[in-house]
Amino acid sequence: MIVGKQKPIAEIKEIISPYKKVLVLGCGTCVKTCFAGGEDEVATLSSALRLSCKKEGKDIYIEELTVERQCEDEFIREAAIAISKNSAVLSLACGAGVQAIARRFGDVPVLPGVNTTFIGVLEKQGLFTEECLGCGDCKLAAFGGICPVTRCAKKLQNGPCGGSQNGICEVNPDTECAWQQIITRLGNLGQLDNLKKYNPPKDWRPSHAGGPRKLVREDHFI
Amino acid sequence: MKKKLKPKITVFHCINAINNCESLPIPYKDTFKLKSVKMACSSMVKDAFLLRAFEAGSDAVIVFVCPEGQCRYVEGNIRAKNRVNWVKNLLDEIEIGGRRLSIHNIANGDTEAAVRIIRQVLADINELGPNPARH
Amino acid sequence: MKSESLSNLQSILDKGDFAVTSECGPPRGADPEIIRKKGELLKGYVDAVNVTDNQTAIVRMSSIAACAHLVQLGLEPVMQMVTRDRNRIALQSDILGAYSLGIKNILCLSGDHQTFGSQPDAMNVFDIDSMNLVNMVKNMKTEGKDMSGFDLKSPPKMFIGAAANPFADPFEYRIIRLAKKIDAGADFIQTQCVYNMDRFKEWMRLAREEGLTEKTHILAGVTPLKSERMAKYMASKVAGMDVPESLIKRMGDVPKEKAAEEGIRICVETIAGLREIKGVHGIHIMAIEWEEKVGPIVEAAGLSPRPQAA
Repeated sequence: MIVGKQKPIAEIKEIISPYKKVLVLGCGTCVKTCFAGGEDEVATLSSALRLSCKKEGKDIYIEELTVERQCEDEFIREAAIAISKNSAVLSLACGAGVQAIARRFGDVPVLPGVNTTFIGVLEKQGLFTEECLGCGDCKLAAFGGICPVTRCAKKLQNGPCGGSQNGICEVNPDTECAWQQIITRLGNLGQLDNLKKYNPPKDWRPSHAGGPRKLVREDHFI
Repeated sequence: MKKKLKPKITVFHCINAINNCESLPIPYKDTFKLKSVKMACSSMVKDAFLLRAFEAGSDAVIVFVCPEGQCRYVEGNIRAKNRVNWVKNLLDEIEIGGRRLSIHNIANGDTEAAVRIIRQVLADINELGPNPARH
Repeated sequence: MKSESLSNLQSILDKGDFAVTSECGPPRGADPEIIRKKGELLKGYVDAVNVTDNQTAIVRMSSIAACAHLVQLGLEPVMQMVTRDRNRIALQSDILGAYSLGIKNILCLSGDHQTFGSQPDAMNVFDIDSMNLVNMVKNMKTEGKDMSGFDLKSPPKMFIGAAANPFADPFEYRIIRLAKKIDAGADFIQTQCVYNMDRFKEWMRLAREEGLTEKTHILAGVTPLKSERMAKYMASKVAGMDVPESLIKRMGDVPKEKAAEEGIRICVETIAGLREIKGVHGIHIMAIEWEEKVGPIVEAAGLSPRPQAA
């Protein structure tokens, strides 16, 4: 899933300050799961914004709405009436959702209320970890299912750097060394020979280095 | 001259901690307003509900939960505590003041403790002044 | 066609002499005098001088430029190159440029992460890793090609080094990694500073067992300790460093004003111990901002004068 984090209220207040009527628009998919932009977060943020503006004597009207997915036109359409009644949209979706709304509603300012952070997993309740950079050329088969591109701070393809100690990354004591994990896992899988293979320089073309990417499935065109 | 507003308190309470807050024997009952919200478990309290109580003009919000380890739904009171702490930070962030929100463990039916806490909160409001978003 | 002369370091190692290298950190400024002064302190005592590449991710005079100043001075540099700051295009271009300036040795590294430096808000590159860099320089030398497969006119023929840390975890993997670096093209290896001799000996034993000491030249790293505080700092704050408690105690047991002397004594003893280990072909003295002590250490270790290159 996409993981995001709501922006600080001060920053949100700053970016909505030119507008008197704002639609706080949530997304019921990824950002809901990570507590950044689902229905509950829309309600909490809206209430906090109203309180804060009232305290400062600022006149603002805030409307709340959450659609199932902001990255799909089918669901975005449901927001059309609410959007037409407001002077700006504060989207609590990921960056894709914000842009999808902006694309469909050409003359309404669409503002981000969430910082999109990574593709990750819910490791346990309340803890999300980054697992995938979307590099477009998955080599997890060679690494025992642990991604060094994402989980090694130096994206090392050929083993750990000299800073790995007791299974911990030197960059951050809260981060496990991805290579230690790869080695342990390959050991468990009986695939330690993988470690001896030279991994050539990565081809970054399928990644963002090649510019914005597209997926085309002609069999689904109508 | 502006008329001095009566302090307003909203109490969210688990019915297993305090069954009824309206009937608590609090002295000088006509000098303040008390609104109570009954919940089958304190875990039903949500961030937005707490904030909306302030939007509705509360000067302080109290959450009464069962003692730790005694929640009928195992960890409902712990969830409530975590949410209250989250919202307290939010209230500080928007300068309404996290001190206006508090959570207390109350043993089943301990009305004396509930009264004592409400009186303390009323004293705190006296010191903090009215909810700055209450115009 | 002009004949390619070997680097001084390579010819000494090829002859089977025990090599001595040291290190020189470029200044945080544009004054070449600082490099020259450090160079003069090392001249005659070492076979080559490593020049760090924005070490600890702090902006300094570029490694290439500092190396070029040393070349002018008649000293042989080992250009350190990290993959943190440049993509493969810039790395290759800089290697061509460096060789054109008379720089014949390279040490391929991934580089300290930028979060340790003065500009932690920087983006890193890590387009390729140090293993890939070693292999790239090797292909330039043996195939005469750049990474695209293009035949280079006058390809650079660098003497290629890589780093190894015998003290980092996981220990059992360290030898596999060393073997990989050698296969990728590492002609010589410079290790992390050795304080824990037992662990280093064990690592060397494994390297010999795998036949690795026959395929590459291992130069063991040493760093003289200045004080008990430095020993404690190295032990606790520097990732991948192993300073035994006994050494910290030894530094602490002498009066403060004698600590530096003791540190140098330890260093000289360590060098003597390292020379006994089969497969250690040289030492790499990293005297951090203490270049004036390299000469005395080399002399005390009986490694002076240095052999003249053929």
